[in-house]
Amino acid sequence: MTDLYLQDWRAWTPHREADGESRLDTQDKPAGKAVPAMLRRRLNLIGRAVCDMLAALDPETNRIVLHASRHGDGERTLEMLYGLNEGDPLSPARFGLSVHNATAGVYSIASGNRCSQQAIAASGSEWAALIAEAHGYLADGQSSLLLVFSDQPVPQRFAAYAPASLSAAVTLQVGSQPVGDAQRLVETMNPAGDSPLQPLDIIDWLMGNRRRIACPISRRGWQLEPVRS
Amino acid sequence: MTTTALEQELKEMIIETLELEDVTPEDIDPNEPLFVEGLGLDSIDALELGLALQKRYGITLESEAESSRQHFANLKSLAALVESRRQK
Repeated sequence: MTDLYLQDWRAWTPHREADGESRLDTQDKPAGKAVPAMLRRRLNLIGRAVCDMLAALDPETNRIVLHASRHGDGERTLEMLYGLNEGDPLSPARFGLSVHNATAGVYSIASGNRCSQQAIAASGSEWAALIAEAHGYLADGQSSLLLVFSDQPVPQRFAAYAPASLSAAVTLQVGSQPVGDAQRLVETMNPAGDSPLQPLDIIDWLMGNRRRIACPISRRGWQLEPVRS
Repeated sequence: MTTTALEQELKEMIIETLELEDVTPEDIDPNEPLFVEGLGLDSIDALELGLALQKRYGITLESEAESSRQHFANLKSLAALVESRRQK
């Protein structure tokens, strides 16, 4: 399998301390400055954070974007379903932004990035799916691409059926070459792990608070190792 | 030129319905284009605005594009539409 290197990353969550890490934004309301105001108004907080992080990692806007989220914008979807049940007409803007590829789509319009994009939901295996897809694109000849993993709390009505989650998003630039301060992503089989990985777990791992992360469903684990010179 | 009460009401409806951040009623010039230029609204906003007119004033717009274009040209033409066709 192709080697995969973590070349750079950005993250957003108001639910932990930055501990001096400049790549982690902990503001309650991300600025969303990468997106013009007329487009930004339709993005939720996570969407604003993701667009800013993508712009920071890819100022040339020439990289493929893979965006994974287990639940997407559940609140918006549920609100529309309640409305439909009442016989209310659907709001076109809300419908447009409730789809799973909404944030990536707005980013593409705002930045002019016309590379491929993919929106992924994988029942708790989002991280494993992102890495598998990334290997595919790198094997296909891409030198680097952007991975996004974001989620927000599941609407109250469904909270009992899903693990508790907090708003967080992480964006990683991965590639086939160890450029800059890159670290090598090493995959292991059948690691110990109990619950599905969420964006906050990835942030914890990137900040060095965890050595390994594991996806119990795909029975794979990952750790970052320094690049040997 | 003074803004009529209806124009003021429509300005507030546009800002609220279309979630226009950082736009105040004073920013909307009744004679400036609402779409593309001027306020800079897009096609999704047009659909959203059509829905709001239906909900609030009971106006159903015909699907024919040219007349909608005229009604949505600016705030003044929108106010004229509401004035002449409102059901509530």
